[in-house]
Amino acid sequence: MLTMSHLQKVYRTHLIETSALRDFSIHVREGEFVAVTGPSGSGKTTFLNIAGLLEEFTGGEYQLDGIDVHGLDDNARSRLRNEKIGFIFQGFNLIPDLNLFDNVDVPLRYRGYNAAERKRRIEEVLGRVGLASRMKHYPSELSGGQQQRVAIARALAGTPRLLLADEPTGNLDSLMARGVLELLEEINTQGTTIVMVTHDPELAARAHRNVHVIDGQVTDFDGEPSLRESPREAGIGERESPRAEAAPLHS
Amino acid sequence: MEIRPILSALMRSKVSMILIGLQVALTLAIVCNALFIISERLERMHRPSGMNETDTFWFVSTGFGQGFDVRGTMQADLALLRSLPGVADATTVISVPMSEGGWSTGISLQPNQNNSTAETAMYMVDAHGVSTYGAKLVAGRDFRAEEVTFNTMDDPPKAATVIVTRALAERLFPDGDALGKQVYYNNEGPTSTIVGIVERLQTPWTSADFVDNSTFVPAYLPYATSSRYLVRAEPGRRDEVMGAVEEKLLAANPSRIIGKMKTIAQVRAEGYAGDRAMAIILGAVIFALLAITALGIVGMASFWVAQRTRQIGTRRALGATRGDILRYFQTENFIITTLGLVAGGILTYGLSLWLMRSYQVPRLPWHYVPVGFLCLWALGQLAVLGPALRASRVPPAVATRTV
Ligand SMILES: Nc1ncnc2c1ncn2[C@@H]1O[C@H](COP(=O)(O)OP(=O)(O)O)[C@@H](O)[C@H]1O
Ligand SMILES: [Mg+2]
Repeated sequence: MLTMSHLQKVYRTHLIETSALRDFSIHVREGEFVAVTGPSGSGKTTFLNIAGLLEEFTGGEYQLDGIDVHGLDDNARSRLRNEKIGFIFQGFNLIPDLNLFDNVDVPLRYRGYNAAERKRRIEEVLGRVGLASRMKHYPSELSGGQQQRVAIARALAGTPRLLLADEPTGNLDSLMARGVLELLEEINTQGTTIVMVTHDPELAARAHRNVHVIDGQVTDFDGEPSLRESPREAGIGERESPRAEAAPLHS
Repeated sequence: MEIRPILSALMRSKVSMILIGLQVALTLAIVCNALFIISERLERMHRPSGMNETDTFWFVSTGFGQGFDVRGTMQADLALLRSLPGVADATTVISVPMSEGGWSTGISLQPNQNNSTAETAMYMVDAHGVSTYGAKLVAGRDFRAEEVTFNTMDDPPKAATVIVTRALAERLFPDGDALGKQVYYNNEGPTSTIVGIVERLQTPWTSADFVDNSTFVPAYLPYATSSRYLVRAEPGRRDEVMGAVEEKLLAANPSRIIGKMKTIAQVRAEGYAGDRAMAIILGAVIFALLAITALGIVGMASFWVAQRTRQIGTRRALGATRGDILRYFQTENFIITTLGLVAGGILTYGLSLWLMRSYQVPRLPWHYVPVGFLCLWALGQLAVLGPALRASRVPPAVATRTV
C-alpha cells in the first residue's frame, strides 16, 4: 500500500538545514493498522505529510499503492490525495462556516461526483459515525469527539484506500479518544489501511504494528506476523528488521 | 461550480459581505449616473455653434468725452476693419454664441397673442453679419445695406426684415414655408418679414432650451458710447489680425478705450468651463470610487485568505488543486459582486429618478446598467486575483502544521 525506501526530507531555510527524515524506510501493507510513535520533533508529521503527498521529499523513493509519486505535478498529487487518501487531523480541521453535510461534501466535490452520489455518500458516512441526525449542525455545535467523527466521515466519504491520522485523539479526553479509536478500528476491519501517529502508548498498543520514529529514522517496530506471508512485501519488511533489532520494543 | 456552499459559508460572515456588496452597489449607482452626466456634458460641449469659431474674435470699443460720435465711429471703424490685411469680414454685434449674455424675445404669429410661439435670441448686425459670423445661408437672401437701421437702447430696432435659423423657422412654420412669412417680434407690431434662413446659430446661452433659435436683425445698436465688433480673419491669420486691430483703431480715433480682444474659441472654453469642470470632477469621483472599491475587495479578500489559511490547507489536503482554490475565491467574489450589483441596479435607477426630479437630468439610458455590471464584475475579478493567487499557493502541509 505504502512503501518508502531510504527517504530523505531536508527543510532548508536560508540559515539552517533540518534533516527531518533520514534514510527513512517503511512498508505499510494493505489492510494494516499502523501506529507511529516517537518523541516530539522526531519527524512523525513529516512522514505523514510525505505519505499523504502534502509535502515533497528530497531523496529516496516512495510508492503509494504501486504508483511512484516522485515527480508528479501538483495537480496529479491533488488528484491522488483526493482519490486514495483520507486525512484526519489533530485539530479536526472542519470548516467552521459549513454545516456537517457541506463539510463532508468538500472532498466529494473535488472528486467531481454528481449531487445524488454525493448526497448518498454523505448520508452513509455520517450514519456510519453516528451523526446522521446532525447534518445541518455546524462544527461549533458539536463536542470535540463528535467533530473528530465528522472529520473521519469526511475522510471516508471518498472511500480512500489509506487513512492518515496525525494524533487524531490529541485534542480529546480519554473517553472520547477511546471512542474515536474504536471507530478507526472498525473502519480498519472493513478494509481501510490506517496509519496513525499517536503519543498515547495505550492507543498505539491496539494497532497491528507500532513504528517508532526517532530523529527522522524508523528505529523500532513490533512484528507484523499476520501479514508477513506476502513474498513481494517481505523483502522490504526485512529491510526494516535489522533496525528493529537495534532498539528494544517500546519499554 | 460550488456556488451553494460558498454562499452558505458567506451567509455566516454577513457583515463583511454586506459591506463589500454595498460598496459595489453604491459604486454602480454613482458611476452609472455620473458617467451619464459626463456624457451629457460632453455632448453639450460638442454641439456646433453654427458660427466660425477658429478665425473670429470680438471686442468692445467705448468712447469717452462729451459728444462722442458713436454712429460715425462705428461706420469708420467697420470700414477700417474691413480694409485691414488678413480681415475677411467684420460687423457690429451685440452678442455671440456661448457668451452667456445677449438679447432674447418671444415671437408671435398673430398680434397680441397671449403666449409667444417661440423664443429667440436677437443678433443685431449690419449687412455683413451673416458673412462675419460664418453662418450658412440655406434659403432666401442676406440683408441689404439699406435695410440696416441705426437704433439706440431707447429706440430699439423695428426689424422689418429678419434672417432666422432653420430650427426657429421650423418651430414657427412646421410646414417648412417660413421664407417670406410675417411674424411679430413685438406684440402690437409692426410685422417682420423672414427674408433668409441660416442653417444654424446658437443663442448666447448654452443651456437655453431654445438654444438653436436665433434671429439676425439688421441694426446698429450701440450701448451708450460702446459698440461691439466681431471680426473674421482669413483662415490662419486671426492672431496676426488681433495684434494689429487695437493699434489701428486707436490711431484712427484715440478718444476711446478698446477692450480686451477675445477669440470665439476662448468664448467657447469659458462658456463650457462649468461643464468641463463638472465632467472632470465626476470623472475623478468615478476613478476614486472604482479605486476604493477595488482596494476594498483586495483588502477584504486578503484578510479572508489570511484568516482561512488553515482551511485552504485542509481543502488542499482533501484534494483541491491550486485551480480549485483560485476558483473558490473568484467565485466568492463573483457572488458578492453580483449580490451588490443587483442591489446597485435598483439603486442606480433610484438615483437616476432623483436626479431627473431634482436636477432635470434626462432619464438614464437602460444600457448603462448592464455595461456597469460587466465593468464591476471585471473589476472585482481583477481585484481578487492577487489574493486568490496567494491563496492558491498556500501549501497543503499547512493543514497539519498550523494549530
Ligand atoms: N516547514 C519546516 N521547516 C523547517 N523545519 C521543519 C518544518 N517542518 C518541520 N520541521 C522540522 O522537522 C523536524 C520534524 O518535525 P515533525 O515531523 O513535525 O515532528 P513530529 O511530528 O514528530 O513532532 C522538526 O525538527 C521540525 O522542527
Ligand atoms: Mg507532529
